[in-house]
Amino acid sequence: MRERRAMKLFIICGILAASFLSAQAPQPIFEQPLLITSAGQSSGDAQIALQLAKKAGLTAVLSKMAEGKDLESRKTLVLVLGASMKGMGSAGLDANKEKERIRELLAEAKRKNVPVLAMHLGGEQRRGELTDEIIGEFLPAAKMAVILKTGNADGLFTKICRGKNIPLIEVDKSLDAVEPLKNIFKRSSSY
Amino acid sequence: MRRAAALAMISWLFLAVLAGLSCRSPKGSLPEPTRDKHAPFNYIGTKGMVVAAQPLAAAAGLDMLKRGGNAVDAAVATAFALNAAEPFASGLGGGGFMVIYVARTKKVTIVNFREKAPAAATPTMFTEKGERQDEWRQERGTAVGVPGMLAGWNYALKKYGTRSLTQAAAWAIEIAETGFPVSATFSQIDKDEYEKLLKNAGEGSRYLNGGIPFEPGEVFKNPELAATLRLICAKGPDEFYKGEIAKKIVAAVRAKDGIMTLEDLAAYQPVEADPIKGTYRGYTIYTLPPPGTGGLHIIQLLNVAEGWPLKKWGPATPASIHHLSEAMRFIFADKDRYDGDPDFVSIPIGLLTSKDYAQEIRNRIGADRVAGQYSTAKSDPVQEKKENTTHVGVIDEEGNIVALTQSINDFFGTGIVPEGTGFLLNDHMADFSTDPDSPNAPRPNRRPVSNMGPLIMFKDGKPFLSLGSPGGPRIFPSLVQIIINIVDFGMSLDEAIEAPRFFTYSSGGKARPIAVEPRISKATLQALEKLGHKITLKDPYDKYFGGAQGLMILRGGKLIHGGADSRRDGVGAGY
Repeated sequence: MRERRAMKLFIICGILAASFLSAQAPQPIFEQPLLITSAGQSSGDAQIALQLAKKAGLTAVLSKMAEGKDLESRKTLVLVLGASMKGMGSAGLDANKEKERIRELLAEAKRKNVPVLAMHLGGEQRRGELTDEIIGEFLPAAKMAVILKTGNADGLFTKICRGKNIPLIEVDKSLDAVEPLKNIFKRSSSY
Repeated sequence: MRRAAALAMISWLFLAVLAGLSCRSPKGSLPEPTRDKHAPFNYIGTKGMVVAAQPLAAAAGLDMLKRGGNAVDAAVATAFALNAAEPFASGLGGGGFMVIYVARTKKVTIVNFREKAPAAATPTMFTEKGERQDEWRQERGTAVGVPGMLAGWNYALKKYGTRSLTQAAAWAIEIAETGFPVSATFSQIDKDEYEKLLKNAGEGSRYLNGGIPFEPGEVFKNPELAATLRLICAKGPDEFYKGEIAKKIVAAVRAKDGIMTLEDLAAYQPVEADPIKGTYRGYTIYTLPPPGTGGLHIIQLLNVAEGWPLKKWGPATPASIHHLSEAMRFIFADKDRYDGDPDFVSIPIGLLTSKDYAQEIRNRIGADRVAGQYSTAKSDPVQEKKENTTHVGVIDEEGNIVALTQSINDFFGTGIVPEGTGFLLNDHMADFSTDPDSPNAPRPNRRPVSNMGPLIMFKDGKPFLSLGSPGGPRIFPSLVQIIINIVDFGMSLDEAIEAPRFFTYSSGGKARPIAVEPRISKATLQALEKLGHKITLKDPYDKYFGGAQGLMILRGGKLIHGGADSRRDGVGAGY
């Protein structure tokens, strides 16, 4: 009797171990090609995302002002979160117009079943009232998030991702995001 | 039985390990408590002081002072060091202005080493590019003005210093070779300008780390800059203006469709000029004459402010912000109409800096309304994005003072690095007007108007305050606010620098919104909106408003306060 109970416990542990390990190693859930855009016109951060995607061997385009039609033939939308007043000024946008652009883009992505990968690559410096509003509104639409650890010092990303069951990958520096990107994207021979 | 116990033991152990691992899974940790970098802090010195936008550069200047160099030697050592330690804001590829107070003669003089347009420049060289003219003004070879930095440093050292160029460049060489961990400010600016750097400096640039912008704490080195500085020390400034470095500069500029020639570089000369003078509530201010128009408009705005009871109104109140904002708008209208290179254009400096003219402006400002119309013939778009440039202040044991503002214009300039040199080329041609008929239109050998305004302020004939800031068109409004904070509101130097700022201007004769740091109370902002102002919120300590550095001389020179702006990485170093 006792042996049977111990065996049951052992089996449960095995199941837990398998699920734990699978949760730790990111699974390839996204497909190529990627459309990258910034939510908040932090164009430097979006450019970094493009460069990281290239280093990960992914096929990607960057569009600062991406709209729904740009999702044609794209299988993943990468939303680089971060507000830049300078960037919005250059693009001739204010915060409301930029948020509206992203809302429309996400609505179209949902309609087309294009999954969203959220990234935050500006670290602590790319946090602030407007960026936090953008994170709060748009991060929940993501299927996964890859962020610089320094941008999550107050646990904002952790809190939102836990609440919405969004897998969160934290990296120490931007270049460290290359390996996770390789892992979460399916290899594609057609691109 | 034993097997069951072993299985249970293994299972419990496993669960314990699993629980431990789960706790380590991605989870935010609270930041370590640190000293609030924005809390006002006055650096103290009794003999000498250097204030600069980067700690290693300030240390270089202080070391020069301690080794017996004078204020000019220390300012140039700091300026060189900034090229290595804050390369995105200034360097060999740029230019600037130096205000020098010589204690022995009690004279103030100006060294102008602002860049010049190449001889092939024309008033329409940018407008003919149509919608893409911004790119040609900021990122192509046509954006590069003939650099004056090295010629200016060398001129100042030879005439007013006591040390050689080699001695002044020593710290810069060491910083460039040894490297340093980049700050959060450096990292953010690197990220902001990444696109330009990729395009012009390339993925393999020193200004990127493995093709990606630097993260805070990563070590930045620049051995190519160190080698360039060694070459200049060995062969003299002519190596830069007439030698191998000159050839590399011209090659880099022309490879990006620029118009600079070897003759342009060989012909460059800095100029020395008399300062312009103004007064404010018993203080006397010496600052730059045009083309450094920041100085001109500092005096103009202070003259207007002098007629108002600012002390009674108080800092950051609706009355003080409303009146000063309206004054800024009228002054920007004058700026559009008159500013240009005084070697080629007549600027009514006497009129603009007169107390009578200030009264005329005050007469047009109502206490309870926005004027809405600010007379001007034409209008240049104000370059809102500019946050760049850098300022150095130095005082030595003899009381000599230097206020030095220098720049490569936009952060990282054009992003163009002459091959193997490690320094960035400026985009100061963007400071010429977009209007071909403007007095500030690009023309051969002209210096573009600059917003810089380093200054030295005196009380009863003795130096009291030295001040300067980056910030493009926000320079003169920010410096005036700091002076008012000190003179009218009785703040200490760094309190005055850290206090919340605001900025506005007029464009085409119309009022633009007031940009504010949101530390100004909501009640004040609502009151301003009731008066008819529109408000734009910036970050609480936004480098949009500049990064001022200052020196305050107290107790007859026996005590020196240094103030350095926390909107950037400013520090003071005194002894």
